[in-house]
Amino acid sequence: MKRGYLQISFAWMFAIIVGIFILFLAIFATTKLIKTDQTIIDSKTAKEIGVLLNPLETGFETGKSTSLILPSETRIYNKCNTDGEFGRQIIKISQKSFDKWTETDVDVGFSNKYIFSENYVEGKKFYIFSKPLDFPFKISDLIYLTSKDKKYCFLDSPENIKDEITSLKQKNIQVNNCSEDSIKVCFNRNCEINVDYNGKYVEKDKSRMYFETDALMYAAIFSEKDIYECQIKRLMKRVENLALLYNDKAGLISQKECNSNLESELSTLNSLTRNLENSNNLNSINFLVEDINKKNDLTECRLW
Amino acid sequence: MQIMVKKAQIKIQQMAFVLIAVTLFFVLVGMFILTIKFSGLKESATELEEKNAILLVTKLANSPEFSCGESYGASRINCVDSDKIISLKEDIYSGFWGVEGIEIRKIYPKESTKICNLGNYNDCNVIKIGTNEISGNYISSFVSLCKKELREGENYDKCEIAKLMVSYKTK
Repeated sequence: MKRGYLQISFAWMFAIIVGIFILFLAIFATTKLIKTDQTIIDSKTAKEIGVLLNPLETGFETGKSTSLILPSETRIYNKCNTDGEFGRQIIKISQKSFDKWTETDVDVGFSNKYIFSENYVEGKKFYIFSKPLDFPFKISDLIYLTSKDKKYCFLDSPENIKDEITSLKQKNIQVNNCSEDSIKVCFNRNCEINVDYNGKYVEKDKSRMYFETDALMYAAIFSEKDIYECQIKRLMKRVENLALLYNDKAGLISQKECNSNLESELSTLNSLTRNLENSNNLNSINFLVEDINKKNDLTECRLW
Repeated sequence: MQIMVKKAQIKIQQMAFVLIAVTLFFVLVGMFILTIKFSGLKESATELEEKNAILLVTKLANSPEFSCGESYGASRINCVDSDKIISLKEDIYSGFWGVEGIEIRKIYPKESTKICNLGNYNDCNVIKIGTNEISGNYISSFVSLCKKELREGENYDKCEIAKLMVSYKTK
């Protein structure tokens, strides 16, 4: 009886082992390269979104709405931090590739933008609505980011809000005629999002967000509480610096026989906004804001 | 027997050299592809910076730190408040708009560059925001530059045409 042996020479063995090693190395490198490529695309998209938000800066307008269409299913992560002089608006993108969401560590940040949205907004088409915030002078344009797939329906809203929303013609915001899958925003009854327009707060997920002005009311409606509170702090940092700027301007033009007599109020506003903890304290600043606004309207030399 | 061993050793050496050569070839090809890819990346980063500058320059005059608001009569768009921006603190606003530098240059009368500060505010023609010089890469737009002036004990609004220039980084 003959026994069969598989005869493999050492040269073959060596070639197979090294070949497998090279193949694994190539596969590893390709996977890494694909991941890097996805990170590049995600970071580029995030930066592009930020850049495209520039034209949303308003002049005389009370609001602007536009849409953004991305080539593939995308998640736009909205993050906010309060570090530094103005804090930072951070955008992170994750796109669907081979039915999986890409993971990126790259955050793209902007100091001069304030986006209000859920923690992440998902879809292919997004609506961006912007509205200036005056407190008492223009602070910035607030940007409200929503997905086409998420509909909001405003019920029993005051006339001015109804008119504004209708004139925006934003397809995912309905007034009174609500579709079944829409998130109801109620002004006089109990639903997912409740707005107390006179009490100046929005109740959502059992938590309250306080607002002054309609711009902040929309912000509270469309955003997560953490994001809202963080953006309020950032906005107040901007008020603090703008108050200082207007104070300097007041000093400069007073040398030209042009008195605004707002220096002391602006200094108070500067220190009050510096110490603001959360939206609950907005009300305590609002009396001063209204006072400053009235004085500026009546003064010989308007500062803004 | 000794001849057989020597032959096998030579074959293994041959194989090892071929494999090293193949690996090196693929590594070099990979590096070449990466170089091309990353040079494209730098280009697209510059393109994004340029796009940012283009879109920013058209709207910058309406941002609260620059805009005239209603302080010179009715609301004006593309109007920069000179009395306000002269006080913009470099250390606070550095990098705030995400561009390298911003400059506002009066167009008329054409004089040599005099950078404005609070000391020479009435006799200067360039307001700079950011420490960097506006070099080759910039986008500009025309704005009206307004300030309060005093003549014979009475103040008046003085508005001049100026160029708002935004410079961006080339990667």
